[in-house]
Amino acid sequence: MSSEPLLQVRNLTTQFFTEEGTVRAVDGISFDVYEGEIAGIVGESGAGKSVAAQSIVRLVEEPGEIVDGEVYFKGEPIVEFEEDDDGDLAPTDAMLTNEEMRRNIRGREIAIIFQDPMESLNPVYTVGGQLREFIEINREVGTSEAKAIAVDMLREVGIPDPESRYDEYPHQFSGGMRQRVLIAMALACEPSLIIADEPTTALDVTVEAQILELVDELQEKYGTSFIWVTHDMGVVAEICDRVNVMYLGEVVEQAEVDDLFHDSHHPYTEALLASLPRPDQTVEELNPIEGVMPEAINPPSGCRFHPRCPEAREVCARIHPDNRDVSEAGERTHRAACFRNDAFDVGYDESPPLEMTAGSGFSAGLTGETDAEAESGGEAE
Amino acid sequence: MSESVLGEEVSADTVSADEVAFGETLVELDGLTKHFKSERGYLAGLRFKRDGTTLPRPTYERTDVQAVDDVSFEIEKGETLGLVGESGCGKSTLARTILQLVEPSEGAVYFKGENLAELSGEELRSKRKDMQMIFQDPQSSLNPRMKVGPIVEEPMKAHGMFEEEAKETDKSAAELREERARELLEKVGLDPQHYNRYPHAFSGGQRQRVNLARALSVNPDFIVCDEPTSALDASIQAQVLNTMRDLQEEFGLTYLFISHDLSVIRHISDRVAVMYLGHIVELANKEELFENPQHPYTESLLGAIPVPDPRKAGQRQILRGDVPSPIDPPSGCRFHTRCPHLIAPEEYDLTDEEWNAVREFVRAVMRRTFEANSEEQVRERFFDGTHPGGDAGDVVDEAISRIVLDEWETANELLQESFVQPSICASERPAYFVEPEHGTGEHFAACHLHRDEPQTY
Amino acid sequence: MAQRDTEQSFDESGGGVAEEEIESRVGLRYTLSQVRRDPTAMFGLYVVGFMTAIAIFAAFDHYVLDYWFAETFWMHPHRDPSNIQRLLPPAWSENVFGEGIWKYPLGTDHRGRDVLVRLFYGTRIAISVGFLSTAIGMVGGTIVGAVSGYYGEWIDDVLMRAVETLYAIPFLVLVIAFMAAFGRELVYAMIGVGIVQIPTFARLIRSRVVSVREEDYIEAARAAGVRDSRIILRHVIPNSFAPVLVQATLQVGVAILIVAGLSFLGFGAQPPTASWGQMINQSRDSMIVNPWFSIWPGMAILITVMAFNMFGDGLRDALDPRLQN
Repeated sequence: MSSEPLLQVRNLTTQFFTEEGTVRAVDGISFDVYEGEIAGIVGESGAGKSVAAQSIVRLVEEPGEIVDGEVYFKGEPIVEFEEDDDGDLAPTDAMLTNEEMRRNIRGREIAIIFQDPMESLNPVYTVGGQLREFIEINREVGTSEAKAIAVDMLREVGIPDPESRYDEYPHQFSGGMRQRVLIAMALACEPSLIIADEPTTALDVTVEAQILELVDELQEKYGTSFIWVTHDMGVVAEICDRVNVMYLGEVVEQAEVDDLFHDSHHPYTEALLASLPRPDQTVEELNPIEGVMPEAINPPSGCRFHPRCPEAREVCARIHPDNRDVSEAGERTHRAACFRNDAFDVGYDESPPLEMTAGSGFSAGLTGETDAEAESGGEAE
Repeated sequence: MSESVLGEEVSADTVSADEVAFGETLVELDGLTKHFKSERGYLAGLRFKRDGTTLPRPTYERTDVQAVDDVSFEIEKGETLGLVGESGCGKSTLARTILQLVEPSEGAVYFKGENLAELSGEELRSKRKDMQMIFQDPQSSLNPRMKVGPIVEEPMKAHGMFEEEAKETDKSAAELREERARELLEKVGLDPQHYNRYPHAFSGGQRQRVNLARALSVNPDFIVCDEPTSALDASIQAQVLNTMRDLQEEFGLTYLFISHDLSVIRHISDRVAVMYLGHIVELANKEELFENPQHPYTESLLGAIPVPDPRKAGQRQILRGDVPSPIDPPSGCRFHTRCPHLIAPEEYDLTDEEWNAVREFVRAVMRRTFEANSEEQVRERFFDGTHPGGDAGDVVDEAISRIVLDEWETANELLQESFVQPSICASERPAYFVEPEHGTGEHFAACHLHRDEPQTY
Repeated sequence: MAQRDTEQSFDESGGGVAEEEIESRVGLRYTLSQVRRDPTAMFGLYVVGFMTAIAIFAAFDHYVLDYWFAETFWMHPHRDPSNIQRLLPPAWSENVFGEGIWKYPLGTDHRGRDVLVRLFYGTRIAISVGFLSTAIGMVGGTIVGAVSGYYGEWIDDVLMRAVETLYAIPFLVLVIAFMAAFGRELVYAMIGVGIVQIPTFARLIRSRVVSVREEDYIEAARAAGVRDSRIILRHVIPNSFAPVLVQATLQVGVAILIVAGLSFLGFGAQPPTASWGQMINQSRDSMIVNPWFSIWPGMAILITVMAFNMFGDGLRDALDPRLQN
């Protein structure tokens, strides 16, 4: 692991401009990805983790827009904003153009693997043909050479009898095999970074285990870095080196995987882990997190987790905690956005405890729908 | 006043004649089988066979998908039976066959001693009052054009509930049903005020609660839960699971809980059945099954789940290959094509080490997971120092020479015929009971490794 | 891959907004608000509304007032005027029969009756036949299609083969045969045109029902013990109905055209009742000398049918969220 990060994300902010209002899907997240590591982004649905991944390669769709922040990949500005003459934020001139992104970054330097392998493969072309075309375009080689590389890649990702399966169509592949094809496609240009967005979520556990093993092997062989987006804490524990926990558009904790699971510094992470049933031991009582994640249109004031947090104090509703280093001297870097930690000096200990507003067991007040709220007079029992 | 509506129902139920006591068999499956036609249309089975010399001869043969094949087990009143398996193993079909939502091809389902498969349409419809179902997708299991209240009331209406009671009180049956619907919404952790909302105004977890309320509305004894929490986020899943447990205690419910998630199954179940390709491969008490799994498939499943603890990572056990097609499933034990413990045919006299090498080789040829350049290379890769002698050795030699000639199919056929087909695993369907290590209760394991134990039939 | 990537949908644009948005796109209010944004559809809607208003008024004058209004303030649409001036052109032009006068703004027909008043009262026939026959087709088709799609198997085969047989016979031949058997009155034209429309609706709703049938809430209702008739009425039809509504709007236009065609051939509304198709028929002989007599009813048909199509297209776009943006 070199000291200079491969990918630097600073204050990245992506918003969706909808009729209902501005959805702050990704709200100022910062993290690094170093060479050869698997960085996890974990969170529940709606936390903004997929949008974060898409923002890094600038694949955010309408009505979404990256509005602020910096993303540097090998020092190149993928996203860079500065204040213009009117004091508004605008992309800098140095920022890569869409054409440069498409030609030089996506596919070549940063590859992407999506959740649903069926949607990412065109059903009317053969698997081999799609792979070959992708290699031809991105590696600028001839057709026959591209085919040879394609067959090699299929073999590399563990597809049996690649020469004959080259001519088959996506529907003739099982889910796990399709995901292998996508991994082959991602690896075909030997990128430095692969962004995997819930790549094993649609797969069965035994197939998932096969894919995780394959990724482990390939990562060792090629030294590729990964950003692994998932909601599954089990997968995180299994595969990630460092983890970013996202909640409602923000990174609330950032740590080495072992520290995260065994010495977590944020109540959300703790609560998430406590709510999981375990395969390796019988858990009699689950401790669910109360309530549901609120809308990103109108996030709670202060710490965004405070309405559901069992340890919330009055100060948490007032002041917004930044994600800062809370590790003690000599420890590995560990960042968390919670006032409980000594690194914050906002008077958490003196602040009176907050009654939870998410409702006890009811979780009925927050339906996650703004118009429904209005309809019923916004009840929040 | 609202308490009375719920209370009456419970007490009315406990005095009914066909009541089953807690711990006794509520549901019993006997050889339940469901085969689907894999093609539709009247001419779908038509095939034209060509034998080279004459004109093609038309033949008519239909291939069936063997979704559920000869499944027997019992569910006791008050317990939660977990049913776990991977996608396509037939667990959802089994659930629907139990409830007669799809007609079984063969076998019987006894509910309170009555064979559901033999009931007529109207008899069955009125029986549905006692058995309900909760679906996986909270979005699509609620009619988007109906309000939550009427959704919860619909089963009550279908079974004419409160029509007798309404004559004795000054309220109409519809009012009584609404009263109960509101109470139930509260019971499952929703706000009774939500009665007039449409499903889209609710989050996934809340929709699943509406599903629960609907299922509970007719006071059933038995609820089939088909992956009720797999569409939910972890923290919401925990909320719903807790509610389901509380309701089970309060109403004395019996659950058949279907999931692909072993963690959830371990949390919620009393006993667990593991399903693979339409067969139940193992069934035991929860602790026994998770701590002392006796079927290689169960072991592989347990080994494959990622544990949310990095200190336990890297202990994965990888099951190779894909699940075979249920159209033409493997004979005998359906897991034998992937089983890491496939038993050697008796005619060969091989050491364990030799057999392991042969088995690896057979599988590798079947899946073509390697490249063959020379015989030496293949031998070195699979049989380095453990090359078997005798008949087995001859077969292996023959296969290797075929592979080097690029005749993979022939080699595969030869190996399958010599090593797999003669194995007991491929010829007989296993069914054994083993001695449990944790707690009492039977431990069923469909694996020939236990062929010294008492057989079921 | 990069190009295809852009087609990936993000499932979580923060708080599941995307999903909720699609979800809320089922309500009638939302649909209407979408239609309101579409100027073509709104133009269609206004024309349809205008025509319908005329038709209702004409029907009122016909059934209740017995042409009291027409006679008092205008002129009787059927009766020949006392001073017969045949085939006059519109008021601003002239032809061999004379110069147009403002008493007959659009000219007169072969019997000297005012074309405008006949057009006005002909709207009643066009609109009522359009709506009623489409309603017959829609109700019949919906029942057949829903039953066929819901039960599947042999019921589906029998019903759909019957529908296809109906579909295979040219519609005009079918309606004419029907009217030849039952009578040439307008009411049989309506029923006949209604029956002709059944296959269109049946096939449309069946294709929707086949997919709605697989939804979990249908199975949930079955598991709960709800009767099939109620499942079809409460769950299947309401959730399959959107495309039928769109088709119905378009079909009204088609029905108006068919009935105009029938009237032209002498079936349907009988003289002296004014109907557009019949007016075109009557104008055949004078088409060269006074083309206006044919043009006016032709334009009335054209505008009405187009208006229904414009509105129907707008409605379809509004009901299908995927077509937006």
